[in-house]
Amino acid sequence: MSLLNTARDALAAQSYGLDVTGQNISNVNTPGYVRRSPILETQALGTATTGSVKIGGLQRATDVYTEAATYTANGSAAAANTRDQSLASVESLFNDTSGQGLASSLGNVFSSFSALAANPTDATTRANVLSAADAFSQRVNQTANSLAQTSNDLLKQGQETVSEINQRATDIAKLNSQIQQAQAQGNDASDLLDQRDAKLSDLSSLVDVHTYTDNQGNLVVQASGATIVNGSTVSALSVGLAADGSMQILSNQPSPGSDVTQYLTGGSLAGIKQARDGDIASVSAQLDQFAFDVASAVNTQHAAGYGSDGSTGNNLFDIPPTATGAARAISLSADVAGHPERVAAASSAATTPGGSDNAAALSGLSTQTIASGNTETASDAYGDLVGNVGELRASSQRNVTTQTAVQQQAQTMQQSLSGVSLDDEMVALTKYQNAYGAASKVLNTVDQMMSDLMNAVGR
Amino acid sequence: MRVTDGMRYTMATQNLSALSSRQLSVAQQAQTGLRVNAPSDDPIAAAQLARLASVQTQISARQSTISSVRGDAELSESSLQEASDLMARAKELATQGANGSLDSSDRAIIATQVKDILDQLVALGNTKGSTGYLFGGTQTGAAPFSATGAFSGDDGQHVVDIGNSTPTAVNSSGAQAFTAAGGRDVFGDVNALYTALSNNDTAGITASLTNLDTSRAQISQAEANAGTIINKLDASTSVLSAASLDSQQQSQTLGAVDAASAYSNLTALNNALTRSASVAQQILSVESFKSS
Repeated sequence: MSLLNTARDALAAQSYGLDVTGQNISNVNTPGYVRRSPILETQALGTATTGSVKIGGLQRATDVYTEAATYTANGSAAAANTRDQSLASVESLFNDTSGQGLASSLGNVFSSFSALAANPTDATTRANVLSAADAFSQRVNQTANSLAQTSNDLLKQGQETVSEINQRATDIAKLNSQIQQAQAQGNDASDLLDQRDAKLSDLSSLVDVHTYTDNQGNLVVQASGATIVNGSTVSALSVGLAADGSMQILSNQPSPGSDVTQYLTGGSLAGIKQARDGDIASVSAQLDQFAFDVASAVNTQHAAGYGSDGSTGNNLFDIPPTATGAARAISLSADVAGHPERVAAASSAATTPGGSDNAAALSGLSTQTIASGNTETASDAYGDLVGNVGELRASSQRNVTTQTAVQQQAQTMQQSLSGVSLDDEMVALTKYQNAYGAASKVLNTVDQMMSDLMNAVGR
Repeated sequence: MRVTDGMRYTMATQNLSALSSRQLSVAQQAQTGLRVNAPSDDPIAAAQLARLASVQTQISARQSTISSVRGDAELSESSLQEASDLMARAKELATQGANGSLDSSDRAIIATQVKDILDQLVALGNTKGSTGYLFGGTQTGAAPFSATGAFSGDDGQHVVDIGNSTPTAVNSSGAQAFTAAGGRDVFGDVNALYTALSNNDTAGITASLTNLDTSRAQISQAEANAGTIINKLDASTSVLSAASLDSQQQSQTLGAVDAASAYSNLTALNNALTRSASVAQQILSVESFKSS
């Protein structure tokens, strides 16, 4: 009697449906859980045209396109966020809205020249020129050192990120072999697949991730264009420094030490790279140029004048011969440090001590185009610097907003596909419950028929 | 679209946090009264504000320069005026001494008075201001005139930067006012009068009359120049105050937030936040089949 088998299979299938629904409900808040649905297939019984139902296993509600879109979106959002965090600290260095920034210390230097011209014989006025120049140097040093510090921190952060990437790659490779083993033994690997997807999603926040399955059925994971996982094999990434001091991402593929930096497009690693070698490097270079231009122009004018002791040719600032590193190196010149009498207010030895031509000329530098290749004044150049930093941060903030929206969209899509909806599960619960009841009815009917038959035969 | 429970929670969290962060930034604007609290709030305005800040520093530096040199300029002017008055007095004495009815003892008395005038003139020539001797040119450290009126200073200028295209000279030249560099050696002329009076030399006295006039005119010219310098300083002061006001207004326009709109923005956002929180509560409390 095939109907008995049919009823048995139906009860088993509907109860499996209830089990799966229960699992979905219990994991409604589990991160990384992908909704499952039971695969039910018709089953032929022998050669008979009537048959029953067969449990074909589980299906995870996921697809490659949605996963890939989520990884890309995660990567871009993480890159934007990481970059923005670094830029926030850079921006605070150039925030002059409180009036205590670099602009005011530059202004004080020129003000001290102006006061020197008004009173060239006063020892205090001379000492003020030195202290204003010293304060300006120190303010520039601090700003440049903070930038260098941020850059160093970012390199360290990059190294930590890469070791985290390698750790994730190892985890994924281990899961790959476990999944292969489970599938070879005919077991359900859904939980392992969930775990692997969660690891991949984590990884996609660290670096740009592309995955595909090769023709041997191995999952291949590529990060920054380099294969880091192939089935159960891991190929670690590492961080190096290029000759120009920029951060390099190195892979063992195709040969050890291959530079794959140019393929880095996403994840916090890309954000770190852009903040360090793009944004901060350009701001540092601009600050160097600004400090170098101001100091050179002041030095030239100062060296042309004469101190009240008749000395001449003294620089006011010590700077390196080129703009590179000028902001970190600038200091009050050893020529004049501790020697206010050498501050050159007069334009000739004969006109000391009352001559103020040179001091007035120094003060006049504030309105002369001495910066950016003699195209703008020092304060305009500093304004440009502030504007640039502001624009970098503003565009980074806009990017964060955009990328976060894209990421949310991708996550919504993924949630819509893979997430558990209690409404759906409630409907499914009712569906399987009803079907289970109906299958019981079939069994009951078979039982009734059998008992009718027995009664008829036994009479 | 298939709506899952996770989506509901995520949406509620995202919307609430987006509103909160906007509320925070508007609250900061309302509290500080500044629209630009960081360069990224408005990069162009931030750059402009940095430039305006240095313009302000420059203006106040020039203003303090003017106020510190103006005192000396006034002192120079009044000293020269006194010197000019003394020359007028010397001329009177010369005219008196030229009178033929006087004898040598009368002239000797007048000569004593002329000697006093000479001493006073030297003292005026050695007037000290806040930056040293006013009439010594750049040689401000030592008295430019000896007791006999010999000049040891120079004709150098004391220049300052008060915003004109070239540095402005703010000192009165003692060389031009008192020495042969300006035409007549004033002290020499007065000394000649003294000598003529002492020697009872009527011809000499008469001869000095013209020279004394020329000398006095020379000092008056220097006094007029000193007045011009003061006028220049005053003109610059008013230009600088106007510029200062202008740059302050620009900073206000660029950086400050309109109090009324900041407050109304804040109120609107507070309301939005309250509404959003209540919507979130409603969405999250949809019971679906849970009660069945």
